[in-house]
Amino acid sequence: MKKIKAFFQKIGDFLKKIWIIISEFIRCKLAVWIGKGLKFIGKYTGISWLAAKYRKNVSNKHKKAIAGYLFIGLWIIGFVLFAARPVVQSIRMATSDYAETRVVVGEEGDSSVKFFIGGFGISQFKQIFKDNPDDVEAIVSTLVDIAVVVPLVLIFSLLLALLLHRKLKGIKIFRMIFFIPVILLSGNLLGYFNSYDLLTVSTLQSSELQGMLAFYLPEEVVDVIINVFGKIILILWFSGVQTLVFLAGLQKDNNAIYEAASIDGANKWEMFWKITFPTLMPLININIIYTTVIYANTGNELTRIISERIAPATYGRDYASALSWMLFGIEIVVIFVYVLIFKLANRKYK
Amino acid sequence: MENTFKKKKTFKKFLLGERGESGFVGKFFIYLLLIGISFIFMYPILKMISKSFMGLEDLMDPTVIWIPTRFVFGNYQKASEVLNFWKSLGDSLKVGILPTLCAVISSSLIGYGFAHFEFPGKKIWMALLVGIFLLPTMLMSIPTYVIFQKFHMLGSLKAYIYPALTGFGLRQSVFILIFYQFFKVIPHELSESAEIDGASEVGIFVRIAIPMSVPAFIICILYSFVWYWNETVLATTYFQGNITTLQMALSSFEHMYSQLFPSGSIGIGSAAESFNQGVLFAGTMLTILPLLLLYAFTQKWFVESADRSGIAGE
Repeated sequence: MKKIKAFFQKIGDFLKKIWIIISEFIRCKLAVWIGKGLKFIGKYTGISWLAAKYRKNVSNKHKKAIAGYLFIGLWIIGFVLFAARPVVQSIRMATSDYAETRVVVGEEGDSSVKFFIGGFGISQFKQIFKDNPDDVEAIVSTLVDIAVVVPLVLIFSLLLALLLHRKLKGIKIFRMIFFIPVILLSGNLLGYFNSYDLLTVSTLQSSELQGMLAFYLPEEVVDVIINVFGKIILILWFSGVQTLVFLAGLQKDNNAIYEAASIDGANKWEMFWKITFPTLMPLININIIYTTVIYANTGNELTRIISERIAPATYGRDYASALSWMLFGIEIVVIFVYVLIFKLANRKYK
Repeated sequence: MENTFKKKKTFKKFLLGERGESGFVGKFFIYLLLIGISFIFMYPILKMISKSFMGLEDLMDPTVIWIPTRFVFGNYQKASEVLNFWKSLGDSLKVGILPTLCAVISSSLIGYGFAHFEFPGKKIWMALLVGIFLLPTMLMSIPTYVIFQKFHMLGSLKAYIYPALTGFGLRQSVFILIFYQFFKVIPHELSESAEIDGASEVGIFVRIAIPMSVPAFIICILYSFVWYWNETVLATTYFQGNITTLQMALSSFEHMYSQLFPSGSIGIGSAAESFNQGVLFAGTMLTILPLLLLYAFTQKWFVESADRSGIAGE
């Protein structure tokens, strides 16, 4: 055991050494090189001459604004290249009467996919609500699903963060384990675990438990309870990142406030609502947005239907993009409602 | 008399604790809760490890739950053959590392731009940044594919690198927001004094902002690496078979297995050769093992520096 510890210590020391070298390198050499390179480019392209001229004439505020735009310039380029067109296109498609993709063979024999869009109106949305009750049902059930899961994830991640924030022996090991979902919850891995029964700890869903509950309670209630138990494990898996964010917020808290409050005779319950909760408010908003987006995009009823309808043989992309905008609408509604609720709750305690 | 009273009091203190500190009972329940939840998170990994060492007899035997009667290492050998492990690992590392570097560099620049400067239209751009994060991935996938086709980016790493360089990589809005929160808390006095000393904006960024935000870099690198590593749907559509990562190999595992080890031969050998969960889980373990190793090495920064990461905001 000691040997292993010493071995890891050595590796750690080695990594630290490398890190020091790298950081020194960045701080000294790289900055100088970048500076030199920029000067070189500036000198031979005339930019530095222009810059010198503009430095004299432009006010500091304008300079800052231009520098800001230069920094986010990358993002604006990306927006124009990769995002603007798809967004505009999908809006156009959702508001069209028909849209279809055709494979066009170019002059040199290379084929490319092109869209043909016609008409303008809300016929796609009409089609959803008039002709396809199944899809409307999917929209409603997805809305309910997200609306139920988001606050549960928030509550669970807050509880986990409060647990991990305690100063106990071995808490670091638990922290390490609790953030494993961050690593495993991405791509297809969660669905993969689910399909091989690795997520539900089998005793929770055993027939024994169900039978025991059915003895005391009506059947529908039992179904709900069993369902919730199954969901709780899924929810625990979804709350890794949120727990990390809450924990970060808790660790920023000032201990002196709690001491003062406890001297004034406040109990833990009051302290939580009057001190901890308000300081976590901005983080709650971030977590609401993050949870909604992640949960809305990982395998629910509506995304399943969208991927079915997107095939040209069934309804096509115009219809699917109308459905996608409905999903976007659901996200906005859920986020808006919960942010508002938490804001009101916070105001009450102020 | 007084002595017994004192003893009673200390016993009560031991059990229930004093103000502000929980006693034995409280601690017992907290540890129970911690261990229980840890078990839920460890369960898939433990189950996979245990099953990946099982032979067919143990897998069929319902009395064998955790510890196999006979450890079978052949599962891993077979799985690595099916996954084409070393080549896929190389591809996976390439797909994980290069876009991650691009994404982290560009997000830090963009985040700095948003956090450190005031310029007209800033609020609109920020709203767009969040709005794009909210868009359903379904909505964007096909139009994005068409654009990539137009720019001839399909079939190579370009399909990951170019968007990552311009802030539109995999969930990159999150990283930009993390860097934004982080750079915002750097005191203005620092950058102002550097400015007076004659440092340029780039100089301030490289010399002050970057060294002060190492934890943010580590968190973003880890997240980004993991997300790129685990992505399969986008990877299969963008790379068009030219690059096969470990996760992509895993998703077609059963198919590849039946090709490598055809179960046509009759006899006792064929049952052992047939596809089973042991081999599949061995394959899965091989694909997530590098991630677990990476996590084990970075978790120290990750867990402890959470308070300085700046995602908490101020």
